[in-house]
Amino acid sequence: MLRCKELVARSSDYLDGQLTLGENLLARQHLLFCKNCRCFIKQMRLTQATIKALPEAPVDDVEKIVQRMTAAQRSDDTP
Amino acid sequence: MSVDDETHLLERLLRSDQQAFSELVTTYQGAMRAVAYAILGSRQADEAVQDAWLAVVRGLPGFQRRSSLKTWLLTITANAAKNRYKQNRREVLLDDLPSPHGTVGDERFAGDGHWLLAPSAWHEDSPEALLSQDELRECLEHTLLSLSQLQSSVLVLRERQGLELEEICNLLGISLSNVRVLLHRARLKVFATLEHFEETGQC
Repeated sequence: MLRCKELVARSSDYLDGQLTLGENLLARQHLLFCKNCRCFIKQMRLTQATIKALPEAPVDDVEKIVQRMTAAQRSDDTP
Repeated sequence: MSVDDETHLLERLLRSDQQAFSELVTTYQGAMRAVAYAILGSRQADEAVQDAWLAVVRGLPGFQRRSSLKTWLLTITANAAKNRYKQNRREVLLDDLPSPHGTVGDERFAGDGHWLLAPSAWHEDSPEALLSQDELRECLEHTLLSLSQLQSSVLVLRERQGLELEEICNLLGISLSNVRVLLHRARLKVFATLEHFEETGQC
């Protein structure tokens, strides 16, 4: 039987679907019986969702980049 | 972005529609920067992204759409970054820097592998509720900044940009097992920050 420490070590692989069929079965079996690890996995999922929801830093110089891009496009059109 | 949206955007880009270029840059700059940052670090990442945007303009008329627009942009960015990249990165690949609230380390477990300090329930159970606390948001950003360049980029590309692990391997030129290690370490550090905040109410 998998121990909690091993479950935690494999938790990212479990969440990313990177475990083999057998490993995945062991992980599921452990989670079925271990409340602490169920709580841990739930919190890991929440951690993932929170990283996803963090506001992205705005792009500060969009205009400058766009100007450079359209200028490059024009110079390509008129060789 | 849906296929139809992509087609429409590409048409407008080819017509040199300024607004379309702005949309393109604001939508994809973050992901492109994460790729460049992973390969080059902060000093040259922005320059590589600039290189990439110019290469995108040149490549637009010939873009065959064999991949999604996003994959195409990120591949161009990875190539631009690799062109600028001189030194050997392998040495720093798995660098693990200390994080403000540590990680979920061995000290959390007893000798028999069971939890010694088990996780306890958190007060909030949605990202929205967690992120509504300004202090926690700042605290998380601080933790993200403490990650090594590869850990941070892999985390951003996976969680925020939703890339598959294989895509990340290909873009950054690192093995799947290394991507898995980097991702796991990064996640545990963010986890530790959330846990610390939930337990103490402060950063």
